[in-house]
Amino acid sequence: MKIILRLLLTMLLVSFLTFAAFEAVSGDPVRTMLGTEATEEQAQALRSELGLDRPFIQRYFHWVSGVFTGNLGISYSYRQSVSLLLGSKALVSLALCMLSFAMIVLISIPLGLASYKYSGRILDVVRSIVNQVCMAVPPFFTGILFSWIFGIGLKLFIPGSSPGFVHLFFAALCIAIPRIAMTVRLLRSTVVSEMNKAYVRTAISRGNDRSAVLRKHVLKNSLVSVISFLGQTLAELVGATIVVEQVMGIPGLGRFLVSSILHRDYPVNQAIVLILSFWVVLSGVIADLVNSAIDPRIKLSGEGRQL
Amino acid sequence: MKKAGIIITAILFLLAIAGSIRTPYSHTAVSYDRLQGPSGSHLLGTDNFGRDILSRIMKGLGTTMTVALLTVATGALLGTLIGAVTGYYGGWVDRVLMRFNDAVTAFPTFLLALLIVSLVGPGSKYSVVIALSLVFIPGFARVMRTEYASLACRNFVISARLMGAGHLRIMFCYLLPNTMRVLLPALTIGFNNAVLAEAGLSFLGIGVSPPEASLGYMLSESQSLIVSAPWYVLSVGLTIILLVFGVGLIGEGSRADA
Repeated sequence: MKIILRLLLTMLLVSFLTFAAFEAVSGDPVRTMLGTEATEEQAQALRSELGLDRPFIQRYFHWVSGVFTGNLGISYSYRQSVSLLLGSKALVSLALCMLSFAMIVLISIPLGLASYKYSGRILDVVRSIVNQVCMAVPPFFTGILFSWIFGIGLKLFIPGSSPGFVHLFFAALCIAIPRIAMTVRLLRSTVVSEMNKAYVRTAISRGNDRSAVLRKHVLKNSLVSVISFLGQTLAELVGATIVVEQVMGIPGLGRFLVSSILHRDYPVNQAIVLILSFWVVLSGVIADLVNSAIDPRIKLSGEGRQL
Repeated sequence: MKKAGIIITAILFLLAIAGSIRTPYSHTAVSYDRLQGPSGSHLLGTDNFGRDILSRIMKGLGTTMTVALLTVATGALLGTLIGAVTGYYGGWVDRVLMRFNDAVTAFPTFLLALLIVSLVGPGSKYSVVIALSLVFIPGFARVMRTEYASLACRNFVISARLMGAGHLRIMFCYLLPNTMRVLLPALTIGFNNAVLAEAGLSFLGIGVSPPEASLGYMLSESQSLIVSAPWYVLSVGLTIILLVFGVGLIGEGSRADA
């Protein structure tokens, strides 16, 4: 209950900042819409039609109450309801995020444990080089390569068309690769430092099997920091999808955000920012919840996760 | 490993510096040799306007590195100042600033940079620098605060106080050198994030824009030519990867030493 209240408060603050920031820079949208030829009467008419002649606070409350009823205003460039424009795009982006998050979790945790288990002089060097390379590869570069090889070359998907599963799969993979490398490295180093702790020595000296100790005790303790990182990752996936959607021609929120920035379509811009920040705040809360379920010592006091 | 990183980074740095003095061809000179593959006269081939790709990469590398260095320098400087003051003194200033900090760092770097660029006005090298440094300050501040807070109660600080050293002197002459252990890796990570963020923003067309060459913008240009000139995409992409890889190795090495 307390969490929901905190979430709501945070979102209210975010929405106010978003609205104020765009208010500060947007200039006169009516002039950009009508061009320089329009008369003052026309401008005035459009202004009152869009509700721009009312004071700032009033418009903010109008906007926020619109958020709850699903009315996010009217796009300047499309002259259509923003919520109508965003609906399907949000679903595409959500699918992309979830797919890529699933890849990160399912691949990096087993891989991280394996990389702890198998170590040796040469293996360590190879591993850290592979790791560094994977972290260095920007998702938009892999995106270009994948569209070239699998899209244009092997014709598994058509870049720019409405996305099917294969298309989303490769897009998600581009985003996941550097994140997997980071998670693997984090998990490995946490397990290493955890294995040196006293409780592990005690457990082993009492005759417990090393890998059983790893599985039963160490993994659980190591996961706490990994999960916080994964929560942060879940939030940051949003940033990565923006570019990858652009590269691979996926009609999602990120692509729409970029075009709305370039066309100064502020209602669309504000709405997308609000949705994305909600996602960010939510992923932090989810990480906290999972962590407190794993380790009850971590109380949900809200330290360090507020916006 | 660290040596390999230093060598790779040094080569790229020299290439960028050489590019700012002189490039094999002018990076904007158009010629009839369009979409030529790599050859003796054009080591990395030419693009659809017949411009020499190597020359453009040298210029672009310079732009990208300048943006990244300026960003990291500003971010680290202001972040260290904030971190030093909050960590050393503590109290309510510390609490307020760190809450604010948490809020900003919880937000994805790239999204925030994108928003600030769109607010400052897209399309120039300096708006990218402003956006990215603003985004990077909290990260540095947090790392430095933790370091300063843990160092501030050490015995050598107390004895320095007893010998009459002022707070400012302690903060910057005694404590700052001790924070290098965490500051150096943070700098390399920051540099890499800045390179990737700049490339991403320019790729989207809201970062550095023509006539200035930047690696991200070149990558987006080359994307449409991928079938007719794959060497263009590959050479630009590999340059970015090498840069981030090299600096990453240095960071990894300086972390392992500590």
